[in-house]
Amino acid sequence: MSEHTHKTKTADDPSFQLPASFGSLAVPLAVAGAALLIVGCLIGFFAGPGEGVQPARFTMSAYLVAFTYCFSISLGSLFFVLIQHLVRAGWSVVVRRVAEVMMIALPALAILFLPVIVIAWSPSGTLYQWGYEGYAASHGVPASMWAEKSRYLSADWFSVRSIFYLVTLSAISVFYFRLSRRQDETGEITLTEKMQALSGPSVMLFALVTTFAAFDWLMSLAPMWFSTMFGVYIFAGSVLAAHCAIVVVTYLLQKRGAIKDEVTIEHYHDLGKYLFGFVTFWTYISFSQFLLIWYANIPEETTWFYTRIQGDWEVMSYSIIFLHWLFPFLGLLSRHVRRRPTLVFAWAVYLLLIHFIDIYWIVMPEAGIKFGGATGLLTSLLITGGMVTLYVGGILWFVRCNQVKVLAVRDPRLPESLAFENI
Amino acid sequence: MTDKQEKKLHGTYAEFDAVDTLLAACRRVRDAGYTKTDAFTPFPVHGIDKALGIKPTALPWIALACGLTGTTIGLTMQVWMNTIDYPYIISGKPFFSMPAFIPVSFELTILLASFGAFFGMLALNGLPKFSNPMFTNPRFDRVTDDKFFLYIDAADSRYNHGGVTKLLGDLGGAHIHDVYDDDSSVAVPKPLFVIMASVIFLSLIPLLLVARMRVTTSDSPRFHIFFDMDFSPAKGAQSASSLFADARAMRVDVPGTVAVGQLDEELDFYTGIDMDALARQDKPRAARLVRALLYPDDPEAPAATDEPAVAEGPAKPADEPAKPADEPAKPEMKEEPAPVATADPIPAPATAAAVEDTTPWLKENPLALSLEVLQRGQTQFEIYCATCHGNDGRGNGLVNRRAQRILATAWVQPSSLHQDTLYSDAYPDGKLFSTISNGIRKMGGYSSQINVRDRWAIVAYVRALQASQNASLDDVPLDRRNELTKEKAAVDRKLAEQAEADRQRAEAKAKAEADAAATEAAVVEPAK
Amino acid sequence: MSLAITQGLDNTVERPGERAPLVLGDSTYSSITESVSQIAERPPTKAWVIGFMISASLASWFGICIAYLIYTGVGVWGNMNPVFWGWPIVNFVFWVGIGHAGTLISAILYLFRQDWRTSINRAAEAMTIFAVVCAGTFPGIHVGRAWLAFWLAPYPSLNLWMWPQFRSPLLWDVFAVSTYGTVSLLFWYMGMIPDLATFRDRSRNKYRRMAYGILALGWSGSSRHWMRYEKAYALLAAFAAPLVLSVHTIVSFDFAVSQVPGWHTTIFPPYFVAGAVFSGFAMVLTLMIPARQIFSLEKLITVRHLENMCKVILATGTIVGLAYGTEFFIAWYGQVAEEKFAFINRAFGPYWWAYWIMVTCNVISPQLFWIKSNRTIPWRIVVISIFVNIGMWFERFVIVITSLSRDYLPSAWGYFSPTWVDWSMLVGSFGLFFTLFLLFCRFMPIINMAEVKSTLAGQLHHHHGDH
Repeated sequence: MSEHTHKTKTADDPSFQLPASFGSLAVPLAVAGAALLIVGCLIGFFAGPGEGVQPARFTMSAYLVAFTYCFSISLGSLFFVLIQHLVRAGWSVVVRRVAEVMMIALPALAILFLPVIVIAWSPSGTLYQWGYEGYAASHGVPASMWAEKSRYLSADWFSVRSIFYLVTLSAISVFYFRLSRRQDETGEITLTEKMQALSGPSVMLFALVTTFAAFDWLMSLAPMWFSTMFGVYIFAGSVLAAHCAIVVVTYLLQKRGAIKDEVTIEHYHDLGKYLFGFVTFWTYISFSQFLLIWYANIPEETTWFYTRIQGDWEVMSYSIIFLHWLFPFLGLLSRHVRRRPTLVFAWAVYLLLIHFIDIYWIVMPEAGIKFGGATGLLTSLLITGGMVTLYVGGILWFVRCNQVKVLAVRDPRLPESLAFENI
Repeated sequence: MTDKQEKKLHGTYAEFDAVDTLLAACRRVRDAGYTKTDAFTPFPVHGIDKALGIKPTALPWIALACGLTGTTIGLTMQVWMNTIDYPYIISGKPFFSMPAFIPVSFELTILLASFGAFFGMLALNGLPKFSNPMFTNPRFDRVTDDKFFLYIDAADSRYNHGGVTKLLGDLGGAHIHDVYDDDSSVAVPKPLFVIMASVIFLSLIPLLLVARMRVTTSDSPRFHIFFDMDFSPAKGAQSASSLFADARAMRVDVPGTVAVGQLDEELDFYTGIDMDALARQDKPRAARLVRALLYPDDPEAPAATDEPAVAEGPAKPADEPAKPADEPAKPEMKEEPAPVATADPIPAPATAAAVEDTTPWLKENPLALSLEVLQRGQTQFEIYCATCHGNDGRGNGLVNRRAQRILATAWVQPSSLHQDTLYSDAYPDGKLFSTISNGIRKMGGYSSQINVRDRWAIVAYVRALQASQNASLDDVPLDRRNELTKEKAAVDRKLAEQAEADRQRAEAKAKAEADAAATEAAVVEPAK
Repeated sequence: MSLAITQGLDNTVERPGERAPLVLGDSTYSSITESVSQIAERPPTKAWVIGFMISASLASWFGICIAYLIYTGVGVWGNMNPVFWGWPIVNFVFWVGIGHAGTLISAILYLFRQDWRTSINRAAEAMTIFAVVCAGTFPGIHVGRAWLAFWLAPYPSLNLWMWPQFRSPLLWDVFAVSTYGTVSLLFWYMGMIPDLATFRDRSRNKYRRMAYGILALGWSGSSRHWMRYEKAYALLAAFAAPLVLSVHTIVSFDFAVSQVPGWHTTIFPPYFVAGAVFSGFAMVLTLMIPARQIFSLEKLITVRHLENMCKVILATGTIVGLAYGTEFFIAWYGQVAEEKFAFINRAFGPYWWAYWIMVTCNVISPQLFWIKSNRTIPWRIVVISIFVNIGMWFERFVIVITSLSRDYLPSAWGYFSPTWVDWSMLVGSFGLFFTLFLLFCRFMPIINMAEVKSTLAGQLHHHHGDH
């Protein structure tokens, strides 16, 4: 069916363009987002969240949450693109451009990471406590151990690594984005072959960078804590978020008439399966990490979870079990749900919200055992809301300015994807 | 052909070579209004469900139900077994360890869900089904190879033999065939039957043997397939060992060892004697007592105490009073180990004259007296002492009564505890304790059976018992007197009733005997 | 219908936009039936007989060693304080790992709609089951009093009057491995039902027909049956996919919930799973390449199939390498003295040779698969796969032995040396594995005929659609 409609469409069909109503939102969103972000930061720094919380640390932590949230979506999208090329997937071509568009935000996000790098140099350990000279003494860490550890956890070395991660990821995404766009014009099959050939090494690099970025940016918030699984944990959340974002964006585009005939129930069905699969995968990874630490009960490791069942965090820790696993697991179990685009969309929106809670839960407890009261909540929401709005606005602006099509119109596997049917 | 007409007709099928022609035929048959149709194919054909109008299956729901059952079984089983029925601490984890219960619950979920999917599929498909009329046609064998069959059931409301045959032919079907009942023999081939029967028979033999062994007993020792540590190389108690020079398998304690929980108290507590005073008065005896307490197993001990024991020998028997057995005697501290102690008492009665007992016995019970202590003493008294001395302490316990009934000659009447010589002024608590611990005359020592604290509790109870037998109503607190009076009245009444009943019974018996004698006499009389 | 177009085609080259054929030559439905069925119908070849005799002798030797062990006691092994988990556990984990490829190919590749699984899934599933049999033997005899191994089951016992200890990962293992064995068996058997029906329908001999007829449960190929069958297959695949992950995860819990340095690290679950898939695929290749040659199945098990498996090995091998690296890094980053020591000791301690064999075979040798010729020339694949198998055995050796031999207290240190019984059991378990596999090749359909025909039908349809 879809095959027929496609055949009547050319690569320049208007339904492959970004809907005008979205394009016109780009600048207002970006401006509003930046404004909210700044207001949020100012409130955090000066109004100060509730008692028991250091305003600067709290605000910077909230900033890191917002950054990580957007970054994880782009990171997961990058993985999505790489893995589709690696396994030469056919079904996903119709939604790959959506992922590519989110992936190409990585270079821009790299700039938004600069404040974090700057704050890492703070001698009082404002965000990363390892930056504080007296950390070892005030936390009873043996000096020899700390001396060894600070060789890795030092501001200069941290900055070098962070820049390396950001540059690497940006380079990969720019490369893939350019080639994919060039194919829109030329339809060269060799471009696909080139992308496939490089996907293997790129995925390896991606895995390495993701693992260590997770260690450096998030795990080192608790300087003495360590878990080899942590990189995989962040990866699992990111890929889930990226799939959700793909569903949400595709659905909204279709609502505005773009790629209306190209993406069918079959694709939603598959994406729904991936949502279900990655919810399960995330659960598997986070449960395994928890179980091993809980069971061995070694103080060096339990501290991380112990922090998260203190004070305000306890309720959140237990809710995550239900919110991030049980509800979406049961909700997406049925094939009938996964074959209804609206329901898949609803679950994707839900999971994107829960993904925020997950990131918040990873970062914020290191800033204090309290939520930070109403101001704290306002700060967190403003910063994240601002960052996400800016992120969305920026992407829209980029797409509008560069006339990026929302479908890889000349991908050689597009017919296969259009004709795709689940068994 | 006529044969076939008599058998039941099931339906008609036609053979196709390719998927596409089959699918086209299926659609046509469906559109022609046939509903009871089926296709038979060597592999699952994509799209045939729609072409034939097959409805989706309920299998996922079956699997889900089974899976949830598995989860429930897994969780309840573990919680019941490790939290409720048999809780024990392991690696410091709580009895209810939810994280640790997840792996097994997960596995059982998967296991049961898989069973649900597999067996549910078989059940819905009506498999296994070994006799199928479809299989009667040898051409149908190729359904599992490369041919496709479209079948229309005779039960279909539109079924018309001629019409169906024509339709199938028009659709490109070849070898159109009618399906009749399978009339091939259902008998199992004989060789197979014999083999199966013998296998079943042979496999029953070991079962029967085991079953027989379970219900019969045998004198021969257990047959050990696995030793299960039944034959330990360790030596049993009292057995000889070649490992040690003294050939004893069990090692004696190192001299001076004090086991945990022993000798926690003052020496006085263990001896019933004021040891300080004794040391001033009779140093060797005190030393002997202490040594006997410290080194109960020490083989050196007798030698060490021998000297003083012999030296004291003539003097000591002198303490031993020559009194009738039923009179309380001055107890002898059996402080020396066995050999010396047994040597002593025999010459004693012959040579001794009453000498005053100068031992500084404790005058008071070292235990703090309380109702609890007294109750403990009572329990212990009734277990160990009352069998001879009687519950009331008058020396007429069960053993004594039995001894009298059988006229035991060697029996020595146990003392009554209610006599002046045994009251605390004449017989201090310490001495009573020592008697219980070490024994007197025929009475053995109880130190090995009753722990020291309980022995003191018995002492306390004996004092209470003595007091109870000499008390008047005035000694009872005012508020309890009424109760006691009532109780006494009740007991008296009961005793009186019993006495009356006994008397009547005796009378009746006497009368009956008299009557019997009279009758006998009457009977005997005529015979003469 | 002839497909001369795919004859002599190099199907390892795939133009984007076209899918390379997975069934080559002028294959038809009946030629597929013929080429698979004749393996079981013809008298055994000489190679099969010789192979069977060798492996059956080794398997018997395994049995004799087990009898000797049970009669004498576990002292016949090299297991000695402090290494109480010696070779038996190394072998157990190794075999469980081998057993992962089958269900992975059947279930996970099925869920990912990878059609190339159809030619290899049957043999891989069979291998899974045989590997689980080998794996299950080792903990069974390692419990000491093997005849009381049933105490692990939660049955109401009047003698014991107590229940198993469900907070122990070793009991999780009992449930995981037995569930895995059962579900794999069901999956394997269910997949075989239509093919057993093919065997039944081809049998001329009455008894043969009866035997296969019983096994085929009266399968008739009805579309309704197929519909439910496919649904059940999809459901079993969906259940088996998390199951296969859970099994090696739980095996990794055996180690990782403890506090032994080198065992307790959170990456263990996914890292064990990747390692299991890695070794399992290597074993599938090691067996399938000779089998394909001997039974002339090149048209069904094509070079493309082999190449894809090589790629999976490369991917999982690289994940394993990343996990080794992460472990090493965190051992340093965590700055826990015992953990640091454990890792230095692995690489440079008394078992340095085992460690470097492991790294060479597991991390370096699969990298050879980056070169296309190494992925397409069968004998090279076999050689590399055998290296991978060796490497994965040593990985378990490194984990079990080095960590146990250097515990927290230097007074409890020791060195593990295997005895002849250890060696015999390792070799004997391979004998058992190969015996079962050879029997399977002889009597069962070693390729899923129905699914390959289905793949061929898709291929034909596609062709038809193009023209």
